[in-house]
Amino acid sequence: MTDKRRIGVYVCHCGGNISDHVNVKEVAATLLNEAEVEVTRTHLFACSDASQQEMIDEIKEKKLDGLVIASCSPKLHMFTFRAMAERAGLNPYQYVHVNLREQCSWVHTGDKPGATFKGINIVRAGVAKAALTTPLTPLRIETQPRVLVVGAGVAGMRAALSLAGMGLSVFLIERESEPGGWATQVGRMGPDNQHGPEVVANLLKQIRQHDHIILYTNAELTGKSGHIGDFNATVRLNGSENLTLNVGAIIVTTGFTPYEPRDGEYGWGMPGVVTLMQFRQMLEAANASGGKLIHNGVPVRDVGFIYCVGSRQEKSEECPEPNTHCSRFCCMATAFTGSLLHEVEKKTGQTINQYHLYRDVRTYGRLETVYTKAREDGALFLRWDPSAPPRVEKADGRLALKVHDTLLVEDELEIGVDLVVLATGMTPRPNDALNEVLKVPKSKDGFYNEIHIKLRPVETAIDGVCIAGTAQGPKNLSESVASSLAAVARTGALLKKGFVNLEPLVAKIDTDKCVWCDECLKACPYGAIERIHIGTKEVAMALDSTCKGEGACVPICPHDAIVIEGFRDDQIMAMIDASLREAVTA
Amino acid sequence: MKPNTENRPLDYDVMVVGAGVAGMETAASMGDMGYRVLLVDKNASIGGRAILLSKVFPTLDCASCIVTPKMASVSHHPNVQLMTYSEVDGIVRNADGSFAVDLHRKASYVDFDVCTGCGKCEEVCTVTVPDEYNYDLVTRRIAHIPFPQAVPKKAVITRRGEAPCTFTCPANVKASGYVSLVRAGRYKEAFDLHLENAPLVGSLSRACYAPCESECTRGDKEGTVHIRGIKRFMADRYYAEHPEPEYGPVEKQLATRVAIVGSGPAGLSAAFYLAREGHQVTIFEAENEAGGMLRTAIPPYRLPNDVVDRDIKNVTALGVKIKTGQRVTSLPDLKQQGFNAILLATGASDENGLDIEGNELNGVVGCMQFLHEVNVGKMPDVKDKTVMVIGGGNSAMDPARAAIRMGARKVIINYRRGRKEMPAHDWEIEGAVEEGVELMLMSAPTKFLGRNGKLTGVECITMELGAPDESGRRRPVPIHGSEKVVPVDMAVLAIGLLPSTTSFPADMKNTKGLLAANPQTRQTADPDVFACGDCVTAPTMIINAIAQGHRAAFYMDRRLKGEALDVPFDGVLDMTDKKVVLEESKDFVERQPVPQPALAANVRGKSFECYEQAMTEEEARQEAQRCMNCAECSQCMECVDACAPKCIDFSQKPKPMSLNVGTVIVSTGFKILDPETKELLGYGRLPDVVSGPQMDRLLAPTRPYNAVLRPSDGKEPEKIAIILCVGSRDQTVCNPLCCRIGCMYSIKHAQLAMGALPMADITIYTIDVRAFGKGYNEFYEQAKSMGVQFVKGKVARIERLDNGNMALHYEDMLGEGGHKTAEHDLVVLTVGFLPNTDVFSLYKGEALAADEFGYLRETDPVSEPTRTNVDGLFAAGTTIGVMDIPDTVLHSGAAASQAAGYLERTRGGQ
Repeated sequence: MTDKRRIGVYVCHCGGNISDHVNVKEVAATLLNEAEVEVTRTHLFACSDASQQEMIDEIKEKKLDGLVIASCSPKLHMFTFRAMAERAGLNPYQYVHVNLREQCSWVHTGDKPGATFKGINIVRAGVAKAALTTPLTPLRIETQPRVLVVGAGVAGMRAALSLAGMGLSVFLIERESEPGGWATQVGRMGPDNQHGPEVVANLLKQIRQHDHIILYTNAELTGKSGHIGDFNATVRLNGSENLTLNVGAIIVTTGFTPYEPRDGEYGWGMPGVVTLMQFRQMLEAANASGGKLIHNGVPVRDVGFIYCVGSRQEKSEECPEPNTHCSRFCCMATAFTGSLLHEVEKKTGQTINQYHLYRDVRTYGRLETVYTKAREDGALFLRWDPSAPPRVEKADGRLALKVHDTLLVEDELEIGVDLVVLATGMTPRPNDALNEVLKVPKSKDGFYNEIHIKLRPVETAIDGVCIAGTAQGPKNLSESVASSLAAVARTGALLKKGFVNLEPLVAKIDTDKCVWCDECLKACPYGAIERIHIGTKEVAMALDSTCKGEGACVPICPHDAIVIEGFRDDQIMAMIDASLREAVTA
Repeated sequence: MKPNTENRPLDYDVMVVGAGVAGMETAASMGDMGYRVLLVDKNASIGGRAILLSKVFPTLDCASCIVTPKMASVSHHPNVQLMTYSEVDGIVRNADGSFAVDLHRKASYVDFDVCTGCGKCEEVCTVTVPDEYNYDLVTRRIAHIPFPQAVPKKAVITRRGEAPCTFTCPANVKASGYVSLVRAGRYKEAFDLHLENAPLVGSLSRACYAPCESECTRGDKEGTVHIRGIKRFMADRYYAEHPEPEYGPVEKQLATRVAIVGSGPAGLSAAFYLAREGHQVTIFEAENEAGGMLRTAIPPYRLPNDVVDRDIKNVTALGVKIKTGQRVTSLPDLKQQGFNAILLATGASDENGLDIEGNELNGVVGCMQFLHEVNVGKMPDVKDKTVMVIGGGNSAMDPARAAIRMGARKVIINYRRGRKEMPAHDWEIEGAVEEGVELMLMSAPTKFLGRNGKLTGVECITMELGAPDESGRRRPVPIHGSEKVVPVDMAVLAIGLLPSTTSFPADMKNTKGLLAANPQTRQTADPDVFACGDCVTAPTMIINAIAQGHRAAFYMDRRLKGEALDVPFDGVLDMTDKKVVLEESKDFVERQPVPQPALAANVRGKSFECYEQAMTEEEARQEAQRCMNCAECSQCMECVDACAPKCIDFSQKPKPMSLNVGTVIVSTGFKILDPETKELLGYGRLPDVVSGPQMDRLLAPTRPYNAVLRPSDGKEPEKIAIILCVGSRDQTVCNPLCCRIGCMYSIKHAQLAMGALPMADITIYTIDVRAFGKGYNEFYEQAKSMGVQFVKGKVARIERLDNGNMALHYEDMLGEGGHKTAEHDLVVLTVGFLPNTDVFSLYKGEALAADEFGYLRETDPVSEPTRTNVDGLFAAGTTIGVMDIPDTVLHSGAAASQAAGYLERTRGGQ
């Protein structure tokens, strides 16, 4: 390119996030001395609508052909500014996002001159890159109006119904032999007193009536190829038969696994120590028979509940990999169980004392009513601290629950109980095989990770694959369903349009240089490399629709035959040069 | 409201009401799916409450980073139409499953299509009110852009009706406006603003009866704002600096000629506004000097002639010619002289006589005649004599007080009713009495007695009050036999004035001699002849005459330009509800009236010097500070001048519209519990007790003080207390629910405060710490490891200590237990939330179902989240109960998918 470029550089204060630590005016003034820079400005919030409008006006007025915005992480606003560039008539790929916040101001909070110096250099690198940008066109992909929902718990079933209601075809697959997931096992559920099996049965009835939903049980997802809008999913039925389903999108609702206590943890392993789920089944059985709650052949007189089992853990010798998260549903579920227990009392005249050993009662929002009702129904709440957790011991054929109640007395209380119920939390499902297929990243707590919890909470790094329900993190049932319907909305937005635009920032292979050594094939985590023949020569080709532009193939190529659009070698070298060159200060 | 007819096409597939996080998310989601979305918000900007936050938990992204992308995405979405500053009036379901919607765009007084969001109007605006976007921590201007990231970035002007002063003024002089300009030190602008409604500023500043003051809301507190006193300062100052007007005739002169008969306030006013339109105006005045009653009837101790002269220059500078000493007797003559239109403004200076014996005696005079002589310097000889003024109105006060000044030995006002019934203003009567005027009440003259044709005494009879007459006042009835004679040298009759219309043909007049004119347009039976002022209305106030002159000029101008007369003259709004103003001003500091400087009674009675004196600049501004900005906007019009693209339009009206939409999603959010309801915690009483939302503003990048400071003294707080569950989980305020986000946003406050104030100690008082969402418990643990103290205990009350800090009394539930006290220098109340019950008035069909706490009820939250009892109307976000942003976003996605399903079901294929 021989003509001098006309690049606009906009430096964002981020309301102080940047400007408190980086002299943004100086950055802007210094950058004005760069040969290709036509204009520089600062904005209090570059992302605000008014600032965007000002930039658009200037891009048009000054006929800019390159744009650099130095602001926050590209994860937040790269798409915002690309869209803005497009509205200004500039090719969005001639815009370069410089992360002046996470990569500069936030990590150099005590050193404004130093941070400013670095800021100038990284913005100059951005300018150098922008000067070498060329207009790119997104890849347009036709989408298939079919969805695969993995996991037929309530979240998955409900998602399937909504997808079908929007006119999409749905394949709903369930690994178990029966759909419904955990809801089939808990009976009545708080806070709305709905009966899990009835909810499931009702959904199942609707699903069976729906022409556009095909439900497969004993079905596992074993393979996935293709890309957003056009996946081929391999499903193994009944452990043998393989089925290939062509779908435009996938929703993962694989749920959770209840925490399995360690041997001896709060008495786990002793007779009479049960999980909340087990206890609920005992209650269901008692309720169904209309009889008393019996354990070891005698009516139960005292029940102790221990909250936060397997949740909010701290690292220790016995617990090297703690679940630090709160499981969210268990306080409400356990308190609700207290009220169910009281119903047995009322029906049968059996007296059952219940002791709830908690850390914080997290019955948030409206769920507070469940907690209040439990106390009205006779649940006694005792607060313990993790520095002295409750202990369960055998005593006189029953169990002794020993606890330091932090609110009442200094001495340890000993409560004789017939049953100890452990409110075990939710943990991520250990789905190694499935994870190998889906490649959806996980967050620190081991649950599937969304792209951004507030901006794109059901989407994942794998385009076209959404997560919902407790696969993403602990939730109660209505929250699970809400998230699965949110995933439906995203999926609907993707598939109802009929096409999707993909990033053109993908690998390009120079077939003259390539000799097909298969190094790139091995390096690519997305399976985007294929071997092709050009005449008699074997070379590699990168599939545009599958390549994520992630770049593992580039350095590994022994022949330097691969570049990633938008991150070409000449651009990277120019960026390095620019950031090292002595700046002409303002 | 009625449903729309079947199969009316949809204006939008979906309407989303409320553009907070939920509304924006839902709208964008529906738009992404290809539906046409209307997103309505009653505020000037979208973004809801979240955009006002500092950062958001648990990631500590700044709120802008989270919310502005959503704001930008809906505002630029090809399928989403934004309607901000708009309210939905009603929704009903149509038979075909779609919805009829009535809504209106509120008057913002700014043309959004033209406004560039430059903020100039905000800079010059003279009125401030508490800034709701900063939860009242600081103030904002009336013309304002809500906050820096607002979308759309357009200014709005908040008006709350017409200020009582302005509304009450017959000429709608913008009293609120010039008072706020004087407060801002912009005296010239204040004067210019006054000219827009009344040109005789000096005369009004001296002699107006100031009806504005009688309606002033401050009058219900410490005392009315002395608006006329402020005007006096403003006019005196302006005239001192500008002996001549700053302007000449307007550039665009027209050929049309207007004759005005009479140069009193009505005629002058009309001439001014007609000349400003470019008409050629000639005033004919019978007297030798212009000014009408201003000059001949008001004694100089109230209105000096030089002030009248200067006022008249305001009119003549525009090129108006005044021909004095020319009594008009024939209208056809005027027309023949080539005048295209005529305005009759001859006033009412003819006098009622008293038809009793002796009225012909030398020494019996009319009050107009008496005052005329006083004003032209032919002082009637009353020195050491007794003067009786007959009548109890304002026109009786002037001759009486003038007589005192001319050295009369004794001045008696004789009035047939009691003191209470006297029509004169109280302050006039009091002033007169102070100066030595005697009141002879319940008395009426029956006979003038004289010797050699000269008055020597008045025979008076005592009266009593009988049955009420047609005016509602009790009719005075003479008591027979109570006659007595009062020795008097001069009797002044001030018993009413007659319209000066004797020279006009009878067919133009009614039986009382008043000219007949259309009350709206002031047009007479002859379409080219208009009439206004006292000759139409009978005697009234100066400001009334000026108002009529302005009005007549408006319609005459239209008549002369060939425009229709069936348009309204002014766009005056309804008067502000003073009760609302008083309620909101409970906490205003007390401001006593600035005393009106005046000469003492014993001094002023000795000369015609003005007894009332001008306030100093300082006094005038101090008095102007007392204005309570009843209507919010004062109409000072500074913004109009400052706005380069000319987008401000005070005549803007609300714009109603009716639409048909396929489905409705309500995302109207929640309300914040007023922390004052927890009285013992001191909010509203102790300045350094702030609410959680306020703390968010203190910590926000766009924070009001640009630092975390405590409000009372601007000190950086060192020991901060954060109290959870204020008004949540609390039966004493009937709010048993957990607020769901308080624990987390308080932990966020603690972490942010630790960053902003590294030396500060932070204690959070809790019941439970409910850190339940993804990454929340980890966020809580992180706060603990940063050194945030968590105390399990309820705070019972907060007291102010002598050192300015506060003592918190709380129950220590861990540790030793019992009642403890802790000292803090800033206290944050993590307040609870309440349902926004406005949502229930939106739907006009069967009632929208509420849950037991007043939130919109989801009929089946497990299987059918977001669905309400009205099929096709869905709820998104906190409308159904407060939740955090991640839950709101998910819930909104669910609403979008439910609404999409509904559209497919009801309108599939359309």
